[in-house]
Amino acid sequence: MEPEISNQSLFFLIIFVIVPLALSYYYQLGVSKNVLWSTLRGTIQLFAIGYILTFLFDLPAKYGIPFMLTVMIIIATFHARQKGKELPHVGLILFAGLVVIELGVLGLWLVFDMIQFKPSEVIPMSGMVIGNSMTAMGLALERMKNEFKENNGRLLASLSLGAEPKQASHLIIQRTLHASLIPNVDRLKTIGLVQLPGMMTGLILGGVSPVMAIKYQLVISLSIFSSVSLSAMFITLCMYRYFFNKNKQLLQTAEEISSSHS
Amino acid sequence: MYRFEHVYQGVLQDINFTIEKRDKVILFGPSGAGKSTLLFLLNRLNDPEKGEIYYNDQPIEDHPITQLRKKVGLVLQAPNLFPGTVWDNIKYGPSLFGEWEDHQGKELLEYVQLPSDYLNRDVEQLSGGEKQRVSLARTLANSPEVLLLDEPTSALDYRTAEEIEEVLENLIEEHKLTMLMVTHDLNQARRLGSRGLFLSEGRVAEDGEIPEMFDQPNSKELIKFLEQ
Repeated sequence: MEPEISNQSLFFLIIFVIVPLALSYYYQLGVSKNVLWSTLRGTIQLFAIGYILTFLFDLPAKYGIPFMLTVMIIIATFHARQKGKELPHVGLILFAGLVVIELGVLGLWLVFDMIQFKPSEVIPMSGMVIGNSMTAMGLALERMKNEFKENNGRLLASLSLGAEPKQASHLIIQRTLHASLIPNVDRLKTIGLVQLPGMMTGLILGGVSPVMAIKYQLVISLSIFSSVSLSAMFITLCMYRYFFNKNKQLLQTAEEISSSHS
Repeated sequence: MYRFEHVYQGVLQDINFTIEKRDKVILFGPSGAGKSTLLFLLNRLNDPEKGEIYYNDQPIEDHPITQLRKKVGLVLQAPNLFPGTVWDNIKYGPSLFGEWEDHQGKELLEYVQLPSDYLNRDVEQLSGGEKQRVSLARTLANSPEVLLLDEPTSALDYRTAEEIEEVLENLIEEHKLTMLMVTHDLNQARRLGSRGLFLSEGRVAEDGEIPEMFDQPNSKELIKFLEQ
């Protein structure tokens, strides 16, 4: 049985919007406009992507998949870049990282026959990997910048003792990676206990047996776990060096960083 | 040991002076005069925009940078210890060059007058004064020729500051170090320094012996500074 929600049923979703609207009005939160706009925008976006996906799923896999993956990676690159746009070559490095990680994960899925090379399987699964990698890279960039700022004195102390930039940054790299990985580890620990993951829920609603749904969920959860870890590591290890100049001196402002590496 | 020729960097303008081996130089002057900037030029945590600095008669940039920094130790106002134990901190510098030997641990703590059972203490458990002593020991572990001190006692209370001063005095004598210290405390300058460099608005306004330059200042900038 295919799950079906009629347009009439969908209309009653408006109740879920009325609640936050009423709250905003009653408590004068001033977010009513925002609630309405977000709901409208989200709905239009989802329907649009629904139609686009229907179109893509009908395309031959060898055109539809590369096209959609490229689009997703480009959008993800621009989004993650916002977190570190003052760093040189950050866009290019993010793009390269996302391509390598996505191709690596996709390669493993296909080699070990976990999914088939069909747009309806590759695109949603890859979307989850790329989206999570994008968030991980953005967070790692942001965290790394903060760590450099907070540990300025320690970095100077370390350099003054004769450390190479890589040795001086060891603590920062360690902390950035730790911060990126811990939520991921925690999420994996409680998976299925607190809430059923979205993909699994979707498959069960779609009529797939819970055990089969779990198998898919495991594939995606572990793929995300691995790609998020790799993304954070990749971006941190590629970018820390831009906080130093060729004379192993610490660059302390965005202007110093961009002028030193231009 | 050091020779500055027409050096410009940030606020610093046309800096010229020479420092001989075993000089005990006090850099002082109003805030924003460029004292810390000048200190950072000496171990190349920063480079001049213009001019030349010589170290042991060679342009400073001809010395391999990590070796130069090893020879020119720096202690900052905040101890900036690395997370971990006292041991982890004091072996940091020599370990970078594969030169650490375990027996050094106790010796270094002795130099800074800390008991040897402090070696395994977590640095988070130490008081401000103890942290600054560990920071000194960490710098000394590299066996530097020059010791740069950027207001090393300004964050400490009077009594602890005096104790650190005593440690510094002994270390400089015992290890035959050349010292350059930034301080706002003129009494401390009298106790520790033999030569003063008074910086004002990025220039060396007066260069002389301590305590003579405090008792009989020549430049109007120094006279005004001492009056304040």
